[in-house]
Amino acid sequence: MRRTAIQQLRPDPGPAEDTDRDPDLAGLLARVARGDHAAFELLYGELSGPVYGVVRQVLRDPAQSEEIAQEVLLEIWRTATRFDPAKGSPAAWALTIAHRRAVDRVRSESASSRREEKAAPDLSEAPDDVAEAVAATLDGQRVRRCLDGLTELQRESIKLAYYGGYSYPQVARLLGVALGTVKTRIRDGLIRMRDCLEVDW
Amino acid sequence: MKVMRDDLHALSGSYVLDALSEPERESFERHLQHCSSCEDEVRGLRETAARLALAKALDPPPQMRPRVLAAAYRTRQLPPPGLVDGERRQARVTWLFAGRPRGAQRREQRRARVPRLAAAFAAASLVVIVALGITQAMTRHQPGTARTAGAAISRIVTAPDARTDTMRTSAGGTVTVVVSSGQQAAVVSATGMRSLPSAQTYQLWVIGPDGARSAGLLSGAGRAGPVLAAGVVPGDRIGITVEPAGGTSSPTTTPVVAVPV
Repeated sequence: MRRTAIQQLRPDPGPAEDTDRDPDLAGLLARVARGDHAAFELLYGELSGPVYGVVRQVLRDPAQSEEIAQEVLLEIWRTATRFDPAKGSPAAWALTIAHRRAVDRVRSESASSRREEKAAPDLSEAPDDVAEAVAATLDGQRVRRCLDGLTELQRESIKLAYYGGYSYPQVARLLGVALGTVKTRIRDGLIRMRDCLEVDW
Repeated sequence: MKVMRDDLHALSGSYVLDALSEPERESFERHLQHCSSCEDEVRGLRETAARLALAKALDPPPQMRPRVLAAAYRTRQLPPPGLVDGERRQARVTWLFAGRPRGAQRREQRRARVPRLAAAFAAASLVVIVALGITQAMTRHQPGTARTAGAAISRIVTAPDARTDTMRTSAGGTVTVVVSSGQQAAVVSATGMRSLPSAQTYQLWVIGPDGARSAGLLSGAGRAGPVLAAGVVPGDRIGITVEPAGGTSSPTTTPVVAVPV
């Protein structure tokens, strides 16, 4: 199931995507935009795992994660009409919404102590606990391998920012480096990841 | 805090990871609107970030599914970007898919005299080169071509010199053309044109001093594109005619619309 979603991000999904059994995300999303319930159920099958996974990664708390993931999937239903293929793949669109929602929740709660206690800046223990099972998949391995190819500062900056939901000034503080350094490491690291994963957009 | 342009550019990575403060995010998004290279970079990095998310996919609790589905079916979807929204939106890239850019209505009024182009069609000696006509129907069988077209299309709509024009057609609806002189190409999409019987099709033409050449067929359903038309130079026009199914080598009817490039 997830492989289909992942294939949407790849430059070459191959010709076999036209069947009813393995519909492509863009096609599903177009049907969802027309209010097609069956298409939304298929889309749920494709996207709920990645959406819930990334939200949980950031928020940690299962109950909160479920609440936010539900909001995100509902948002996908509601705004499918606004998806713009010129701006990226359906999966990237959906996961951008998901990540942003999760981070918004983190930031709006940063006054409360709940999450701060959980989010101790122990990098070795960083957010990998949640998705052990999935990291075993080929695609997870590939991402991990590419992450391993980064410098330590690039890797930790990206992980703290994306999986940890920290702002780059917070990342700078956690890593004890200058703001400008974190900014450029995040960008350089992502560009290297892009090339390593052969993302072509 | 006043941020310099170079610094802004370096924020692309943090922007994609949602690691900017709200004011920084806003100023970066403003910057994005007139920095097409940044836009390209953001697109690629966003796909990359999505991979980071996919690597962490995790099955949600089973009770979530019925809740989401039930909530969805009780929730009205946003209308697609239409006339009103199209005018409000500012990002150049969205125009193509979103409908009409601001000011389009005024231009339409100025250019309402469409049929004068029929003369150009009739007079021209018609050398036909089907250079690069890609309709959605065709791409379904040619994924490789589709992808190339997709990349070419985004290159054009994000080109620094891209201009967008929207005109009403005499078959109803509107056609939107994004032209880049630098890329010598245009991207065309149509919406709201009347549906044709199955024996007919819409056909897209690039009309220059030497006549009209086909740039491919458009769906007879009245909603088509984006379609890429290559070899477009200033002075050309982009026209659409109604033709027998399968298309013709030269236009046989008066165009329903002709957009000056």
